Amino acid sequence: MSESPQNIHLPDSIVKWVNVGIFVVDRGMKITLWNNFMANHSGRGADTVIGRNLFDCFPELPKTWLSKKIQSVFILKNFAFTSWEQRPYLFHFPHNRPITGSVDFMLQNCTFMPVKNETGEIDSVCITLFDATDTGISQTELKNAMDRLSEDSNRDGLTGIYNRRYLEQHLLTEFDRSKRYGGHFSFMLFDLDHFKKVNDTYGHLAGDAVLCAVSQHINSLLRTVDVLGRYGGEEFGVILPSTNLEGAIVVAEKLKQIVAQTPVMHKETAIPITVSIGVTEFKAETPNYEHLIHCADLALYFSKENGRNRVTRYTDELESKNNLRPTLFT
Amino acid sequence: MSVRPLTEDQRDAMQEITNIAMGQAGSLLATLLGVFVNLSVPRINVLALSDVADAIGSMVGRNIEITAVRQSFHGYLRGEAIVIYGRDGCKELGDLMGYDEVLDRTDEIELLLDVSNILVGACLGGIIDQIKGITEAHGAGELSFSAPSLMAENVPAEVLINPDKLTWTHALLMEVNFTLEGRNFISHLCMLMPGGSIEKMRNILDEFVASF
Repeated sequence: MSESPQNIHLPDSIVKWVNVGIFVVDRGMKITLWNNFMANHSGRGADTVIGRNLFDCFPELPKTWLSKKIQSVFILKNFAFTSWEQRPYLFHFPHNRPITGSVDFMLQNCTFMPVKNETGEIDSVCITLFDATDTGISQTELKNAMDRLSEDSNRDGLTGIYNRRYLEQHLLTEFDRSKRYGGHFSFMLFDLDHFKKVNDTYGHLAGDAVLCAVSQHINSLLRTVDVLGRYGGEEFGVILPSTNLEGAIVVAEKLKQIVAQTPVMHKETAIPITVSIGVTEFKAETPNYEHLIHCADLALYFSKENGRNRVTRYTDELESKNNLRPTLFT
Repeated sequence: MSVRPLTEDQRDAMQEITNIAMGQAGSLLATLLGVFVNLSVPRINVLALSDVADAIGSMVGRNIEITAVRQSFHGYLRGEAIVIYGRDGCKELGDLMGYDEVLDRTDEIELLLDVSNILVGACLGGIIDQIKGITEAHGAGELSFSAPSLMAENVPAEVLINPDKLTWTHALLMEVNFTLEGRNFISHLCMLMPGGSIEKMRNILDEFVASF
């Protein structure tokens, strides 16, 4: 700094001191201007880079891509841009949040501008570099929060498994996909037997513990593609993709058996639990996803009716049997 | 509200300007990308807002999913350019733009933004070049561009422009299709200029006609 800022022409002074990176390269990628922002963040003063090739000075730059980008400005005589959202940074600059930041380098938004010389020829490209670290960090935090929120809105507050809203939404998706592309899937509803008695005998806290334990246990037995959700109260639903009725019955029998063999421990009391299950499968003629819920529910009703701790598959005969009993389902 | 279409002279002038501009744009793009770029003859129309979605639908095809990038330009004329790609629009472009590696989704978006910026810049730059004499006489400086941004990803073409959410009533729409020789790539460029810019454009075209 031999000259005082007052003696420098005003625009030069602004370029020099503005809190934005500004540098210029010529057609041979030689650096011809390098402002203080660039010098401070790169640790390379103007005197050490001016007249030198950009890529020799900064080997970390993505050479092929960046040359093409700068080339496009020369050829099209037009602006070009980069955004931190796709390319977090060009230069490996430290950022101003060494303590509170969650990124490795300063996030950067760049604009590439054609620069004309006195004869109107474009002989250089000017690149401005904006520090987008703060924006980037807050946007990332916002996105993470939104993702968590949308995950939470799919979960049942007590058991942590999916809630009824998500279960139905997923059932609709699976239904639409199978309707369109064909394929199997099955749906089951199960219910903890005599759950009211559990609440009455051991208290509601014990009842809650049973709901959590059974749902977690069953979730651990299912495949990752299966979707288990709490349908309401002590009733749960499971979507079994790519599974026909026979396969679903096997799964249901296994679940029924394991639950019956594994009493839930609550404060050193073993609480015996059994489940009743109704199973149905998607068929090409299934009119809508609600029909699958109806079928599984009806099969579940007959599991209860026939003594509980059992699995019932939905068949058309259940409908006619159902018509003989007093109307429970309207 | 009735929309006054361009007069026949205005339309001819616009066609003339855009044809030359697209020719220039095509050869610039060929230099930059190293492949021959085919540009369609531009279609130009003044449209009511309610008809724009339809016009876009008939250009790119109905019942297909598209990805679109938007970029605004401002100066004497102002408006927005929308570049529309089919579902796998960018799969073929990576090597053209200097990407060595296999592209992930973020790279693909960057690539679409890059290519959009280039297409818009080349076409609009060409048009501006043709009318520079006229706009400069009106004291206009050079056009500047905002950074391009992703507008929609894999949405049906007909929902791209939602008339219910917009405030303008009619716009000058210019459409061009791009294909690349030897590659399975097509994209569509729509330039839309609302209200005041249409009137400015009419005046420019009238002066352009008068200058011959």
